[in-house]
Amino acid sequence: MIFVAVIAIAVLIFGIGIYNSLISKKNQVANAFSAIDVMLKKRFDLLPNLVETVKEYMQYEGDTLTKITELRGKALGANVSESAKLALDSQIGTAVKGLMVSVENYPDLKANQNFLNLQSTWTESEEQIAAARRNYNASVTTYNNSVMMFPGNMFAGMLGYQTITVLETEAEERENINAKELFNS
Amino acid sequence: MTEDFILTPAIESVLAELEVQRKKIASSKIQGWGAIILGVACFAIGAILSQAIIAIIGFIMVVPGVVILFRISDDINQYKYRFKQEVIGAALNSIHQNLTFDHENGISESEFINAQLFAKTPDRYHTEDLITGKDEKTVFYFAEVHAEYKTEMQTKNGRQVQWHDILKGIVFSADFNKNFNGITVVRPKDFGSSIGAWFSENIYSFGDKDIVQLENDYFNKNFVTQSSDQVEARYILTPAMMEKISDLNERSAYCISLSFINSSVYIAFPLNNNYFEPPVFDTLLKPDLLDEDMNILTFMFLIIKELNLNTRVWSKE
Repeated sequence: MIFVAVIAIAVLIFGIGIYNSLISKKNQVANAFSAIDVMLKKRFDLLPNLVETVKEYMQYEGDTLTKITELRGKALGANVSESAKLALDSQIGTAVKGLMVSVENYPDLKANQNFLNLQSTWTESEEQIAAARRNYNASVTTYNNSVMMFPGNMFAGMLGYQTITVLETEAEERENINAKELFNS
Repeated sequence: MTEDFILTPAIESVLAELEVQRKKIASSKIQGWGAIILGVACFAIGAILSQAIIAIIGFIMVVPGVVILFRISDDINQYKYRFKQEVIGAALNSIHQNLTFDHENGISESEFINAQLFAKTPDRYHTEDLITGKDEKTVFYFAEVHAEYKTEMQTKNGRQVQWHDILKGIVFSADFNKNFNGITVVRPKDFGSSIGAWFSENIYSFGDKDIVQLENDYFNKNFVTQSSDQVEARYILTPAMMEKISDLNERSAYCISLSFINSSVYIAFPLNNNYFEPPVFDTLLKPDLLDEDMNILTFMFLIIKELNLNTRVWSKE
């Protein structure tokens, strides 16, 4: 009798462990997504300063600067979905990358300390966002595995949990990010 | 790790002087230990045959042996000191002028524990041969470390203490090129850590660091990565960095351990040899004398370049 009770308690504890683990993984996915959001916000906050610093020097890049400002405005606007925000961030990234390439034509700007600081902070934010996206994808993969595999799938069915799609890895995340190349090309 | 190191004329001249000292030490050691071994043998034979005279002769033979060994201990220390200072020190400068060698110091036990390279805390700790340097923007240092833990077993003959290695090798530390606040550790994957990782991932995570599942298969197969911050761990361990660490691991004899803590990277390399020591029973006058020492040194020095630690495009200077 005691033996049966011990087995029953062990099964119960194991079951609670699996159940809690599933909930925690679901929360982890949400948490990982909010980490991307925090990183994006941090990156968008750099833009006004960057635009302000470069516009004094880059007289011929007015269109790019206006585009960056507009994209930032859209990304920070109300009711922007997370996927739209990520798409806007990708466009901002491309525009800023183009801007950084043009810096070669402005030697005074290249020597500006404030610009150099912004440049390195921008690179840092690129890698932080890449890390946050990878973290999100890892959380989703772990969650999806639990939802699809035994014994997690039993609880997942009861809770109505379904698999989630991972974010597509951007080309830059797969490459060896080398900011020197990025800025000096 | 197999490049030949060319001895400079200055080093060769010091080695020629030390060779005389070495021969004297080797001969004294042979005499001392010879007398002790013979004496102990006589003593044992005397005891077995119940011949007091043989036992006494044996005992008397041991005394001069001990005296000889005692008298040459200062010579040995001086010999080692000169070899490390004048040979290793000079050889270091020929690799890089910024390198300094302090054979009496190493990485302190508290720093070793705080680096969290290993799960076990040492019960016995020895460190020596500290080498420090700076390559462009990166300050680095490394030292030989022998850290052990003990286990005690109750046997028929009483309590038996056994010592086990945590690390016998080199601990390397360098200023990391990115800012971070948390702790990330990368340890070799063994059966225990694999079970722990599975439990932590599927049931419950104990402690302040969670398992980090990374995308690199080689990395996941060989290491267990834990961090106090999942995003920060990936910020440090970029796909490129994982490739470089994997490459470093492939070139090492045993699986390495890494930790990223207090803005520094620590790497532990388990090794078989005790480096930077002069031979006693082998000649100093052979061209490949310093090859192994210099190869390990060059390997450590190259880590900075291998891991791109001088690339400071991030906000850390």
